[in-house]
Amino acid sequence: MSFVVAAIAMLIAMIPAAVVLVRGEPGEAVVGYEFVTSVVVMILALLAQGFQRPSLFELPILLAVLMYASGLVYVRALERWL
Amino acid sequence: MKAAPIFSDVLLGLAVLLVLASALGVLVMPDAYQKLHFVTPAALVAPILVTLAIGVRMGLTENTGESCVALFFMVVAGPYLSHATMRAIRVREKGDWRPGGGGKAPEAEREQ
Repeated sequence: MSFVVAAIAMLIAMIPAAVVLVRGEPGEAVVGYEFVTSVVVMILALLAQGFQRPSLFELPILLAVLMYASGLVYVRALERWL
Repeated sequence: MKAAPIFSDVLLGLAVLLVLASALGVLVMPDAYQKLHFVTPAALVAPILVTLAIGVRMGLTENTGESCVALFFMVVAGPYLSHATMRAIRVREKGDWRPGGGGKAPEAEREQ
């Protein structure tokens, strides 16, 4: 139960970052995106643990890998085109 | 009452507090450089606390192992991503990441 509560609390923590993501300059938005992605990895792990579904632990692993790749894509776009 | 669930909950509480404080930092700080400093605690320290919490609660199980794998990717990728972001923001603002602007601005690439 505490894992689900922690996941919900972390979801609340995403609101300020989402505000930055939507309303900030492009550089700030990329920072907000990286923050949100990192928190979502933890939320997925917490929910998988909270609901006792070991198979769902593949999602945070996948997102942790994709976080790096997608972050670099956004950073490259920020540097060159945005 | 056993100590492991309590210790696990304490670790989870610390992780949540860290993420909440970092989120406020990302919101309040005035520019992207300073905002980026608050991503690191949420992307590096909080996942360690969450993984420890799962490990303390579950012991050496599949859940702990898979959360360790996710943690590994975050710990490896986080610093590279932060560095690349900082560099991209500087290139965007100054035209070059080196002090004094040793190179040309990527205008030619932008036009492509």
